[in-house]
Amino acid sequence: MSLILPRGEAFLYPGGPVGCLVVHGFTGAPAEMRWFGEQLASRGYSVLGVRLFAHATQLEDMRRARPQDWLASVEDGYHLLRGLSESIVVMGLSLGGILSLHTASRLPVAGVVAMSTPYVIKSPWLRRLRPLLPALSVVVPNMAKDAPDWRDPELARDHVEYAANPVRAAATLLDVHAEMLAGLPRIRVPVLMMASHGDDTAPPAHSRSIFERLTTTDKELLLVENSGHVITRDRERQRVAEAAAAFTRRVTGWPAGSKRKARR
Amino acid sequence: MSAVILPGAEPFLFRRGPVGCLLVHGFTAAPQEMVRLGAHLANHGCTALGVRLAGHGTNLDDLARTRWRDWLASAQDGLDLLRGLCDRVVLLGLSMGGLLSILLAEAEPPAGLVLMSTPTLVPPNRLRPLLRPASPVYRRIPKGPPDWFDPSAAAERVAYPAYPTRAMAEVADLIEIARAALPHVHAPALVIHSLNDDFVVPANAQTLMAELGSRDKRLLVVEGSNHLVTLDAQRQTVFDAALAFVRRTAGPAR
Repeated sequence: MSLILPRGEAFLYPGGPVGCLVVHGFTGAPAEMRWFGEQLASRGYSVLGVRLFAHATQLEDMRRARPQDWLASVEDGYHLLRGLSESIVVMGLSLGGILSLHTASRLPVAGVVAMSTPYVIKSPWLRRLRPLLPALSVVVPNMAKDAPDWRDPELARDHVEYAANPVRAAATLLDVHAEMLAGLPRIRVPVLMMASHGDDTAPPAHSRSIFERLTTTDKELLLVENSGHVITRDRERQRVAEAAAAFTRRVTGWPAGSKRKARR
Repeated sequence: MSAVILPGAEPFLFRRGPVGCLLVHGFTAAPQEMVRLGAHLANHGCTALGVRLAGHGTNLDDLARTRWRDWLASAQDGLDLLRGLCDRVVLLGLSMGGLLSILLAEAEPPAGLVLMSTPTLVPPNRLRPLLRPASPVYRRIPKGPPDWFDPSAAAERVAYPAYPTRAMAEVADLIEIARAALPHVHAPALVIHSLNDDFVVPANAQTLMAELGSRDKRLLVVEGSNHLVTLDAQRQTVFDAALAFVRRTAGPAR
């Protein structure tokens, strides 16, 4: 019996002593981070892509998700990757960016890459309804998703994700998001934020707002133009992966020497 | 706010050779109960990965919220990650971890399967249909008194102090689901059970042996251990038997 959707599986690429822990987004799957992970692996890093609790199985499972379940999923990946790596850079997309920043405020990491990370959850009525969401979700379990914002429509065809937004888990999302914002001043390691002008969910203004609240002295903000929300897969994926790799190399000092030598 | 996972309850990965061992812990427990076995296998050249099942090793209320589907998905995650390192994989499960290993083995035959203290029989109990409806009020079922042969093993144990009633109903279902899968499991199997297991009595192992579809299956009965054979006084016997089985079914570790 296998419950995990095809191509929804967690993944691990063994490599050198620096590990990249990569975290997918809300209702998404490790698949949206796999190409990105492969790029880092090809540069010699050990890469682990977690599957967040209740993701890539069935939408109904999301009803049971709470903030601590997703944080624990990231911690699981962290501890397993520690079996291969001395230091870890945590990287995430959207909810994965929220969880990466959250994790960096609590566990020792060498750096954080937060991509397409929301500063506010877009829907204002959702925020106002937060206290009612658990009860509301019994009547309205799911909400339709907004139209996708892919710049490369080909990619939408093999994207692995749930077809709707689960209402009960949206409450969890709001909670973990608030905790993340509160934890930002505790982050003492380098942070790279990336966002796209083509992102309808978490446009660059969101990353800028998080960026301003970060008190770490070493922070970068990189904006791309022609990608939708899923910048790890859309048109500028190469640039995004290269920026993450360059950041990892800078903050960990590995691999030392010329890039050419470091490639396997 | 600090880590969500309790200290000592973290999953583990020891990377060695191309033979991989997936270690799956039991109900209300944590990877800690498999880490000594994992270290033993790693000391002899096997790569060992111990998963943390959803809802375990954090907070008892988290476990009450999870279902057997979530636990199976956690075990599958461990297998998917281990496959990134190893071609040949042996599944080793203790108690409920054995049930999950059976279901993984049914979906994708491993090189071998080690089932320790694994239940196949749901104890007849007229209260079982009441577990779900009663769980919002009667939320926890207390654990029995400790029955260690080696009380020093108890000191390092990381586990919840009680069983969440709602999750207990899931375990009963999972026993039946895994039992139904037994005839479809054909991988070489080693069944390990203690004569003194009063929690999952040895008759469970007899059913397991009778119904497993594997042609290559062996039963190792140990004496002088409680249910937790990876921790209690006979653990070294269990470790040696598991290692010998892994070597025989998955080939040399190095």
